[in-house]
Amino acid sequence: MIELKDIVVKFGDFEALHNINVHVKEGEFFTFLGPSGCGKTTTLRTITGFIEPVSGSVWMKGKDITHVPIEKRDIGIVFQSYALFPTMTVHDNIAFGLKIRKLRKKEIEEKVTTIAHKVDLSDEQLAKAVSQLSGGQQQRVAIARALVTEPDIICMDEPLSNLDAKLRVQLRNELKKMQREFGITTIYVTHDQEEALTLSDRIAVFNKGYIEQIGTPNEVYNFSGTEFVANFIGDINRLESGLVEGLHLSESKNHFIRLERVQVNRPKDENEFQAKGLIESREYYGLYIKYYIRVCGQTVKVIEKNDGISIYEAGEEVTIGIHPSDVMTYDR
Amino acid sequence: MRKNKTIDASMIYKVFGGVFFLYLFLGFMVIPCLNTLTSIFTTRDANGNMDPLAVIRFFLAGNMPTFVVNSLKLAVSLMITVNIVGISIVLLTEYFDIKGAKILRLGYMTTMIYSGVALVTGYQFLYDKDGMLTTWLVQIFPNMNKQWFSGFSAVLFTMTFACTSNHALFLRNAIRSIDYNTVEAARNLGAKPFKVLFQVVMPTLLPTLFSLTVMTFITGLCAMSAPTLLGYNSINPEIVRLAGSTVADEAFPQARAALLSVILAIFTMVLLNVLNHYENKGHYLSVSKTKAKLVKQKIQNPVANVLAHIYAYVLFIIYMTPVVMIVIFSFQNWPAIRAKSLNLSDWTLVNYFGSQDYEYLTSRGKHRIRADAISGVFANEKTVGGIRLSFLLSAVAAALACVIVVIAVNYIFKNKNKKRAVLVEGCLLFPWLLPTILICYSYRIFFNRDVWYVFGNNLYYGENVRLLIILAYTVVKLPFALRMVKAAFYAIDDELEDAARNLGASNLVTFLRVKLPIVLPSVLAVFALNFNSLFTEYDMSATFHSSYGTSYAMVIQSMCNEEGRDGMNMNASGRRCASTVFIMLLSGLILYLVYGVGARDLGDRLLANEKRKKRLERIFHGRKAGKDNEDG
Repeated sequence: MIELKDIVVKFGDFEALHNINVHVKEGEFFTFLGPSGCGKTTTLRTITGFIEPVSGSVWMKGKDITHVPIEKRDIGIVFQSYALFPTMTVHDNIAFGLKIRKLRKKEIEEKVTTIAHKVDLSDEQLAKAVSQLSGGQQQRVAIARALVTEPDIICMDEPLSNLDAKLRVQLRNELKKMQREFGITTIYVTHDQEEALTLSDRIAVFNKGYIEQIGTPNEVYNFSGTEFVANFIGDINRLESGLVEGLHLSESKNHFIRLERVQVNRPKDENEFQAKGLIESREYYGLYIKYYIRVCGQTVKVIEKNDGISIYEAGEEVTIGIHPSDVMTYDR
Repeated sequence: MRKNKTIDASMIYKVFGGVFFLYLFLGFMVIPCLNTLTSIFTTRDANGNMDPLAVIRFFLAGNMPTFVVNSLKLAVSLMITVNIVGISIVLLTEYFDIKGAKILRLGYMTTMIYSGVALVTGYQFLYDKDGMLTTWLVQIFPNMNKQWFSGFSAVLFTMTFACTSNHALFLRNAIRSIDYNTVEAARNLGAKPFKVLFQVVMPTLLPTLFSLTVMTFITGLCAMSAPTLLGYNSINPEIVRLAGSTVADEAFPQARAALLSVILAIFTMVLLNVLNHYENKGHYLSVSKTKAKLVKQKIQNPVANVLAHIYAYVLFIIYMTPVVMIVIFSFQNWPAIRAKSLNLSDWTLVNYFGSQDYEYLTSRGKHRIRADAISGVFANEKTVGGIRLSFLLSAVAAALACVIVVIAVNYIFKNKNKKRAVLVEGCLLFPWLLPTILICYSYRIFFNRDVWYVFGNNLYYGENVRLLIILAYTVVKLPFALRMVKAAFYAIDDELEDAARNLGASNLVTFLRVKLPIVLPSVLAVFALNFNSLFTEYDMSATFHSSYGTSYAMVIQSMCNEEGRDGMNMNASGRRCASTVFIMLLSGLILYLVYGVGARDLGDRLLANEKRKKRLERIFHGRKAGKDNEDG
């Protein structure tokens, strides 16, 4: 569907993207994930045409679109700020692209009404100014405006970042539902790993202008390709010498283990390493409890499901268990 | 092929725009002012020999420094009085809990709707030797000096109240942005209310106060209408006088005027540089995550509270008396105005519309009638002519300034962080560095000959002077328009432009349909504010005054002169009052449109429309229901 081949982008002397290669399949929800300044938005803007790469090419449906003007790429965009035109009504915002394409008035009306209903916008809301809508409704307008011109692909640049936590979760679900309904190829940019894991079919993890790993949410979480990915996605423990020795791991490499993979007071499994530890402190999250356990000369973070019974107090002695196959190992 | 075509078209636009901009900058800003500068050093002695330092010698030996000293004296005094009155009215209406603060605030802001020549003549109506208040005071104290309202003290008094509205407007915004939590924190730590005021509140106002003080100083230095009308020998009136003088009357008047205007320019540049330097050092910004709204402070000491109330209401009376008197007397006939007594049974609109005969007693004891000598604002040909001309010149200049600035700012934002954008901005801000009088004086002298780049025309000749006034008005208003429009452009999210381009809009369509509608309220506000200040503008009108360029301000001034000649045109007082009321109404309407209607966004407008529709429906249905009941 869309392919980036050896993309290099420079801003003056600064190289923002180094040989980026991505292939997004048709109908896929593909996420660019990474911290601020890692190059994810730059990659998106290269796809949409706002940035021209120094070298490399952008291909869509088998055609090289590297030098095709923005308006001719057939890519819909949902901006971080939504970029809704404040001087136009909701209707006029959605109809803007159609008017530019000089469609007949009747056709414009039909298309606007159809897409508005699909994204759950009422006729009454269509007559309103965008400032009269809530954050969630504004997001729907932005999506409708991006979709009404029937683009081949839709790009979203952190569209949930301006919303409060509760609304963000609610809209995240709606977004996924809408994407499935429309079946449109979607490229989504975010720095929020939870958002990326819940929404995406595949994720590209960016760091300092490089792609560290491309994979499904399960692959990037459980089989993180690099130390950066392992650290960036979710919380993780770095194993120090005491535990490394106990687990008989190579001391010339770095070893990590996810919090939920460390067992507390469980019967010993085959091949499992167990050690006595002391609860230093705990954080209560409701659904789960996070323990800080001092073991083998280091503090290990552990997450336990809150069953309401096995809740340990600070100072209490516990036994932790680590399975060597759960350890992720990377070269130093 | 197509790509080449676009490049050609855009190149043509760029070249045309660049050439036009250069023409505007060099032709109407740099060259005339340089001509003024060089004229100082190109004077000739009696033998016709060049004597470059003649004016400087004249300056040092003659009385010219008096004008500079007088201007400086006015500027320094004004700086003090405006700060005292300005700070106190803001504290009284915004910080302290004073009863009737809303009404007081309205009173203090009256000078927003009548300023310049209208305000000065309004004060004259009350305080000059035949003024209403002076006449009443003389009746009470027969020995008092009737001429008390003239010279330095009169100018200072008038300008203090004229300048405080602007001063207070900016200071009010600053005080409103104070985080109340800081006041509460200081109180919590044991500070008493006045300690909080001086140690917490005032320091946060200092940057604004510094800027306002510098601007007030420049205003005092460049004062024109008040010194001219109230008789004070400061720089600007002297420049205008010298500009109209000839070598036959006195020694090299033009070169002297040029020197004075350059001195003024040097002062302005230095002060603006100081201001710029200070502003660049940064302000005390609130570091609060969530600001708390300022809560008015009660003055706990009962004596201080009473004194503060007395002070507030005395100021209110000073502000309101001229306004009330002018409005009331604009509806009185000439005998009432002449006698300075209200005749409540004899209200008239003659000062606005229509005319009437004037009956008077000659020195020989005969009654004479001067037919139609008393005419209203809109029945007096000269006044209507002045209004029409000022309206036209101000509207054209305000519109031109907006068009130039909108195009330039769009270019500046498109070329952000590029040298060419900085250059364009610098050129447009150039007139800000120069006093208005220098620009106008330079225009008057430079364009009073056939100039090749204005197609060989003399712009100070005949009707051409109107074009010259438009050009001067436009150039002088460019910096203000630029600052305001630029601020509006900052409100445009970069992503809006990206979105429009992504949806297929060209640069022109994006500008016309996305960016312009967003900045339009601000652009219209700039247009309205510029129009408002130009409509009764005095300084430039006085410099360009000619029979073809008699603006409204000059008509108002001539009304004052007419009044001086006893019996010549007694109704000029009434017409002048009516003129001031007309200006107040027009300014009030413009300010309402700008800050009231213009401040509403699309959502507010749609809501207002909805409400209006519902109200109409209710009325319609109410009537229909009433009719049905009647029918029933």
